[in-house]
Amino acid sequence: MAQSVVTGRASQSAARPPAGVDNRRSRRRKDRAWGVLFASPYLAHLLLLMLWPLGASLYFAFTTYDLVNPPEWTGFENFTRLLSDNNFWRTLGNTAYFAVLFVPAQTILALLLAVALNQKIKGIALFRTAFFVPVVSSWVVVAYVADSMLNPRSGIANTLLDWVGLPTQDWLQSPALVIPTLAGVAVWKGVGYMMLLFLAGLQAIPEERYEAAKVDGASALQRLRHITMPGVSGTTFLVLVLTLITTLQAFEQVFVMTDGGPNGASELTVLYMYRQGFEYFQMGYASAIAWVLFLLILVLTIVQLRLQRKWVHYA
Amino acid sequence: MALSAIRPGCPGRPGYTRRHRTMRVWSVAAGVTLLAATACSSSGDESASSDTTTLTLGYYAAAGDPADTTMRELVDEFTAGNPDIDVEIQAAPYGDFFSRLRTQIAGGDAPDVWLSDGVLVDEFAARGSLLDLSDRVAGLNEDDFHGIDLNRTPDGEIYGFPQGAQTPVLFYNTAMFEQAGIDPPDENWTYDDLAAAAEQLTVDENGDGTPEVYGMRVHSSGFTESWWPMIKAFGGDIVTDDNTTVAVDSRESRQALQWMLDAIGDDGFAPDGVTTESLGGPHQLFANQMVAMIFGIYARSLPAISADVEFDVAPLPTGPGGERGNVAIVNSWVINNEAGDEAADAAWRWIEYFAGEEPQTRWAELGEAIPINRAVAESDAFLNSDTAPAGKQVFLDALESSEDLGVNAVWAEYTGVLNENIMATLDGGADVDTALAEAQSKAQEAIDRFYAESS
Repeated sequence: MAQSVVTGRASQSAARPPAGVDNRRSRRRKDRAWGVLFASPYLAHLLLLMLWPLGASLYFAFTTYDLVNPPEWTGFENFTRLLSDNNFWRTLGNTAYFAVLFVPAQTILALLLAVALNQKIKGIALFRTAFFVPVVSSWVVVAYVADSMLNPRSGIANTLLDWVGLPTQDWLQSPALVIPTLAGVAVWKGVGYMMLLFLAGLQAIPEERYEAAKVDGASALQRLRHITMPGVSGTTFLVLVLTLITTLQAFEQVFVMTDGGPNGASELTVLYMYRQGFEYFQMGYASAIAWVLFLLILVLTIVQLRLQRKWVHYA
Repeated sequence: MALSAIRPGCPGRPGYTRRHRTMRVWSVAAGVTLLAATACSSSGDESASSDTTTLTLGYYAAAGDPADTTMRELVDEFTAGNPDIDVEIQAAPYGDFFSRLRTQIAGGDAPDVWLSDGVLVDEFAARGSLLDLSDRVAGLNEDDFHGIDLNRTPDGEIYGFPQGAQTPVLFYNTAMFEQAGIDPPDENWTYDDLAAAAEQLTVDENGDGTPEVYGMRVHSSGFTESWWPMIKAFGGDIVTDDNTTVAVDSRESRQALQWMLDAIGDDGFAPDGVTTESLGGPHQLFANQMVAMIFGIYARSLPAISADVEFDVAPLPTGPGGERGNVAIVNSWVINNEAGDEAADAAWRWIEYFAGEEPQTRWAELGEAIPINRAVAESDAFLNSDTAPAGKQVFLDALESSEDLGVNAVWAEYTGVLNENIMATLDGGADVDTALAEAQSKAQEAIDRFYAESS
């Protein structure tokens, strides 16, 4: 709506006869005022809801702040405490483990699904929708469905294992299995979105390349390896960066599915941070955790940006 | 709103004039102002009229829950009797209620009076968010109420007034006992008697090694009904010195945990953690008739009654040292330290009203809590009501000999550490000695961090 208003106005002013310099200057000033007015909701949002909390949390990170009494400056105390907080490192380890399983699994599966669904066959929209449904469902719904499927006694997962003669598993109740299980469920929920990004990337690859490769006798696997994968390397990069960031910020899933259990085995860093801030009255410490996590994400993203030069081809 | 305000008189359309443009600027401005006004309105409605006081009242309950419905009815009755008070309710499910409350306190926007989980009163009081009620309580006859002492700080201050009391006792399924031909538990039961009966009550009908019904629930993340009273029954302590010194790493604790491990493992009369979760979690087992006995607080009556379980209650069994390990939680009304005098007075009137006979009777009938009004608790209407369990006196006796649940300013944090370590041993992964040592040192660290900083 706002866009059509702006373009409508621009075309109108272009159609007008040229006016004097003063007139033009006052118009420019007016235009600027209009621009600020139109941008004001976003600017207000940016200032009040993003920059202000960001600055506040940076300040809190150097204080003890219990939400009730005013923050007290403590310098780097929160950060030195972090260094020796085994629980924090454990949650970071859990998060890394989750990321190592989840990021490649989701990226590879999303690419394979996109390739499989990038075809002109009947009912293809139905399949694409099926993979996209978990993406638009809320985590609470997905968790509920996953929980009942993974119930060690009555869930379909163990029923199937039992049926093919394999030992049944305590998916979410076993400390060793809980993170891989959560990663699996997260892939199921998130793969549809990444698949969609890959589909868009795939459709940008010119059909002629495949035809030429076919003429030259390249197999399907060779076409995937030498045409598709380089062709979507830009998308792959985007998917990797997005997935890694969301993984390091993962919260809802563990909050609703395991609450960090069993016995802390699935406590991810953001859940730990939430506990410190909203359950233990330690908002200063929680803010310090948030900033350390932010720096980690920043470093990892910079590393990814650097590495992309080696493997990402923009056509 | 802002969008629809721009729609008429689109620039570029024929007939678009300067007047239209001016109008458009005004309508945009009006829209923005309106949005801003809506955003601020939540804090600007306190000046309704000078002779009524608006009281914001917070409590935790799932929407539509019988507790929620009853609370709303009681609020209506209260305002009918106190026309000078308007009550504004802020209710949410337990977890949401308390995380929101902390941010509300930070924003200076917390309710004037709220229902606090008994174990959290100290946490909020120690940080200065609660009004000291000592003087107001002094105006009452303390002997008329249960649980006031459990809310008294070591310095003698009182920050919460009892709303309803909870204490674990032994719930048992009377039908299962009859079927197995076992005498119901009584006050002479020891942990050995409990184990012997539980083994007899464990049923593996199809003989696949996995019982369909277990004798007793031992593994529960809700430690009020699990390791806390058990360790105390074996003569152990959790915290001492006005709840500031953790003492859980002891021979007695090890014995208690060993008893629990045997129950889950070799003796096999209690479901392990995985089975408990698979069957819907620790609080579903008794109502689903998957176990014959649990340690349960009064509130466990409600789901058991709803599921038509035939049950009664008995005192907790005595451990090797002759202790029962009775503990109690007194959920309490607390008043916001930031509430003005008028709101605080209105809040106190609500608290007094809720402690009265009619509301207490209604609340007890729900199967939610033991009445804190002694007259109600000892009345025929409560003790001999038709609703199960029949032996309600058992709760009152347990309450009389109960200690608090180790409450202090960092209760959630330090008990979280204890629970995680102890549950790790019960799940079979962690060595008991190491876990108890780790639990003790980490929990002590959390306590020291607060008390060292604030001293």
